[in-house]
Amino acid sequence: MVQYPTPISKLIEGFMKLPGIGPKTASRLAFYVLDMKEDDVLDFAKSLVNAKRDLTYCSVCHHITDIDPCRICEDKERDQSAVCVVQDSKDVMAMEKMREYSGLYHVLHGAISPMDGVGPEDIKIPELIKRLQNDDIQEVIVATNPTIEGEATAMYISRLVKPTGIKVTRLAHGLPIGGDLEYADEVTLSKAIEGRREL
Amino acid sequence: MHIKELRLKQFRNYDAINLDVENKVNVILGENAQGKTNMMEAVYVLAFAKSHRTSKDKELMQWDQDFARIEAEIERKHGPLSLEVIVSNKGKKTKVNGLEQQKLSEYIGTCNVVMFAPEDLNLVKGGPHMRRRFIDMEIGQISSVYLYDLMMYQRVLKQRNQLLKNMFPVPDQEQEVMLDVLTEQLAQAAAKVISKRFSFLQLLQNWAKDIHHQITTGNEELRLTYAPTAEVSEDMELSKIEENVKLKFQQTRQNEIRRGVSLSGPHRDELTLKINDKEVQTYGSQGQQRTAALSLKLAEIELINDNIGEYPILLLDDVLSELDHHRQSHLLNTIQGKVQTFVTTTSVHGIEHDTLKQASTFIAEAGTLKQMK
Ligand SMILES: Nc1ncnc2c1ncn2[C@@H]1O[C@H](COP(=O)(O)OP(=O)(O)O)[C@@H](O)[C@H]1O
Ligand SMILES: [Mg+2]
Ligand SMILES: [Zn+2]
Repeated sequence: MVQYPTPISKLIEGFMKLPGIGPKTASRLAFYVLDMKEDDVLDFAKSLVNAKRDLTYCSVCHHITDIDPCRICEDKERDQSAVCVVQDSKDVMAMEKMREYSGLYHVLHGAISPMDGVGPEDIKIPELIKRLQNDDIQEVIVATNPTIEGEATAMYISRLVKPTGIKVTRLAHGLPIGGDLEYADEVTLSKAIEGRREL
Repeated sequence: MHIKELRLKQFRNYDAINLDVENKVNVILGENAQGKTNMMEAVYVLAFAKSHRTSKDKELMQWDQDFARIEAEIERKHGPLSLEVIVSNKGKKTKVNGLEQQKLSEYIGTCNVVMFAPEDLNLVKGGPHMRRRFIDMEIGQISSVYLYDLMMYQRVLKQRNQLLKNMFPVPDQEQEVMLDVLTEQLAQAAAKVISKRFSFLQLLQNWAKDIHHQITTGNEELRLTYAPTAEVSEDMELSKIEENVKLKFQQTRQNEIRRGVSLSGPHRDELTLKINDKEVQTYGSQGQQRTAALSLKLAEIELINDNIGEYPILLLDDVLSELDHHRQSHLLNTIQGKVQTFVTTTSVHGIEHDTLKQASTFIAEAGTLKQMK
């Protein structure tokens, strides 16, 4: 084992906490940082801290945001009668890039998976149900990932919402099975929106 | 299809070998523990990306090495292919013509192999899981869709079993709803698996029955039947199968919650083998059981040929010596001139047959393979 001075090994440890970064890449990045200009390093460090400090989750839709409620929830031009349910904040961004959809969102932050110890209460499903009771939402579009857990979550939501008389549809076509919404290209996504079926 | 060239690197007791093989019967001759089965295993891994005798890939790597590699040039009806399987501490990689395959379910089937080894007697004698494994492997190598459906089924099954465990002793309302959801999802996946198994077994039965008839010179009638845990049958539509599978789950719901596991479905279904209307597993003699296993394997070879238009590669590990002369020659007659075959044996003594005389012979000795001139 090579023994690095503590500041460097701390930096390496920090990089290793990021997804997809192993010890090799981490030390390469750490040594790169040592060669950077001090101002650049400071800027980088500040933006890391600010991103964490200034961003929170929207108390209405649970999308990541710097103001609460978020800009999407606050935008009165948007269709207030439709809510699209997704697993992740990244999915909201993918949908927004497509510019086909102008309704509201609800971010679950996960999917139901007994194997991983995730039940309906552990993701934002109770919040969704509460939201449906108050707001004037008439359609729920479930856009969870086309994985087994995403499908199960969609079916679960459908079972809860249907009795209330609100229409439930599922993003249907074109999504690669086993894939994530995040990776779907825009054409497939817009097809999926057109072809949504009733659950 | 056939292998033209096989290269092994740090695979079991083979350090590095490079073999040119012909499209005919190849005999691997050697004392015990020299590497005969290891060589068969290598061809098996080339086809299925996993071993027939261990679930631990690491065992395939030569001791003290950190990877094992199998490479082959094969010839198929539509042209040549280069295949590669690498096992390392980091996992498994498969390549076709140098291109890494993203999914195992897509790789499996590029090279078709049927193996017959002494353990295959368990196909007849052993528990139901042996027969389920047989069906799954064999349908899997001709249908990647089946492999995919099966993987889906197994994943939902795991989710549902975990939920059932969580529900004991007092389920809450959310769990009841979630169980409905997973039951529906599991029934959907189950129906696809069951309906493919039905049609596969029908085809296999047609071949196995004839072959068995021939081997036993008309004395024995072999019958395969799928014995499902739900009230389903071959003539039902997919939606009907799904409905009945779901019904079965609903009927046993309370019991399943108590036991914390899914009690019916493809993972519990059985394949029964009967000779002259008697279950071979229970009532068959050792000889009948062996013949039944042989008939199934030969049927499989024909079925693959029916499905993909060419014969698979056949691996016979230590089985020739276990068959009597009549069955030996039936087997060798069947494969002669149409199936590339690798046969292992400790001695060619007592195997008198034209096929063997025309075969290439390799001597296996302490991790080397040398062609006998
Ligand atoms: N991972 C491994 N690395 C090196 N040698 C191995 C490995 N696994 C098994 N062997 C050796 O391979 C030999 C067994 O080879 P095998 O092909 O099963 O024999 P047989 O010729 O009787 O079929 C034994 O000598 C065993 O020690
Ligand atoms: Mg052996
Ligand atoms: Zn919001």
